[in-house]
Amino acid sequence: MDIQVKILRYNPEKDSEPYYQDFHVKGVSDDWRLLDVLHEIKWNYDSSLTFRRSCAHGICGSDGMKVNGRNRLACALLLKYINTKKPIVIEPLPALPIIKDLVVDMSSFFNKYEVIKPYLITNTPPPSDSERLQSNEDAEKLFESAKCILCACCTTSCPSTWTNENYLGPAAMLKAYRFINDTRDDGADERLDILDTPDGIWRCHTIFNCIEACPKEINITWHLSQLKKRISSREM
Amino acid sequence: METDTGSQNTHRKPKTFDQKNWISENLNYKKDSGSWAWILHRITGIALIAYLFLHIYSLSPLTEGEVAFNNKMEAFTTPVFMVIEWLLFAFVLFHSLNGIRIVIVDWADGAKYHKQLYRLSWIVGIILFLAMGAIMFSHELKNLF
Repeated sequence: MDIQVKILRYNPEKDSEPYYQDFHVKGVSDDWRLLDVLHEIKWNYDSSLTFRRSCAHGICGSDGMKVNGRNRLACALLLKYINTKKPIVIEPLPALPIIKDLVVDMSSFFNKYEVIKPYLITNTPPPSDSERLQSNEDAEKLFESAKCILCACCTTSCPSTWTNENYLGPAAMLKAYRFINDTRDDGADERLDILDTPDGIWRCHTIFNCIEACPKEINITWHLSQLKKRISSREM
Repeated sequence: METDTGSQNTHRKPKTFDQKNWISENLNYKKDSGSWAWILHRITGIALIAYLFLHIYSLSPLTEGEVAFNNKMEAFTTPVFMVIEWLLFAFVLFHSLNGIRIVIVDWADGAKYHKQLYRLSWIVGIILFLAMGAIMFSHELKNLF
């Protein structure tokens, strides 16, 4: 089948601002991923089209983009789940600066990620004869939050991020949950202090865009609500 | 010949396009029940604050005595004002029921069934809205049948 694709293009060396370019792509099938369509365009229509992708299997999280008005992973989206009767509109992730075409500057996203200290903090020396062990039950509690691939689909889909560039965002705070609830970690209080700030967890207005955008189907808002409860009960 | 000293120019920042435009992003991004709940909560919240000022203003004839106040209140018993008051009740309903929904999301496990809670708040809201209509317009309804 043939499909119409509308892509937001921007070349910093030529364009003063982004513009939409239409492509009529022939011979696609509905079991193609959206990423295959982008490859088809880059390899056979316009080699200047620029986008990120690495593993192409929903693990590395590098091909997050806005597809028909919603953040998706291009490699985890089959054409059969998109309306191909109308042109498919592909834009870069919202709010972040565009470097070229669908490639955005993720620096601010990763700066926020580093703010919440995404590493193990301990007060005790490591056991001499083994690694730090954790029970299956305790590991199970972190399972969902640890699935995050840092694709930035959630953080850039959040209206709070659009209005406040300093807002930590769902991805960073989900990672905070993952370490705060790790039984081997002793840094919960310092991370909760970071979340309990004006640009922290209280800017989550439970809009649920993050859940709709997450390609790993993580219920991010539920994890953030657990953090809100924990901070509130700490105050009491 | 220029030589790179390796101090500041080694990481030249590329020219980028700043996409920050929260108004167009809010208009263009796909909305689900959570977004609608949030947008309507803001709109009804602002409208209720505006109403609060109107309410205080309409009570101001109290300082001018009973007659002035009763004259003012007379205006609010006209059918047009009754309908406006009925709509005001709809705003109060949405804001309070969605407020309960947000409390359940933040304090219980509501995030796991937020869409069902959204639908439930609409169902309860519409029932209460119609019930209030039946009470407010009971006189007119009796005349009708």
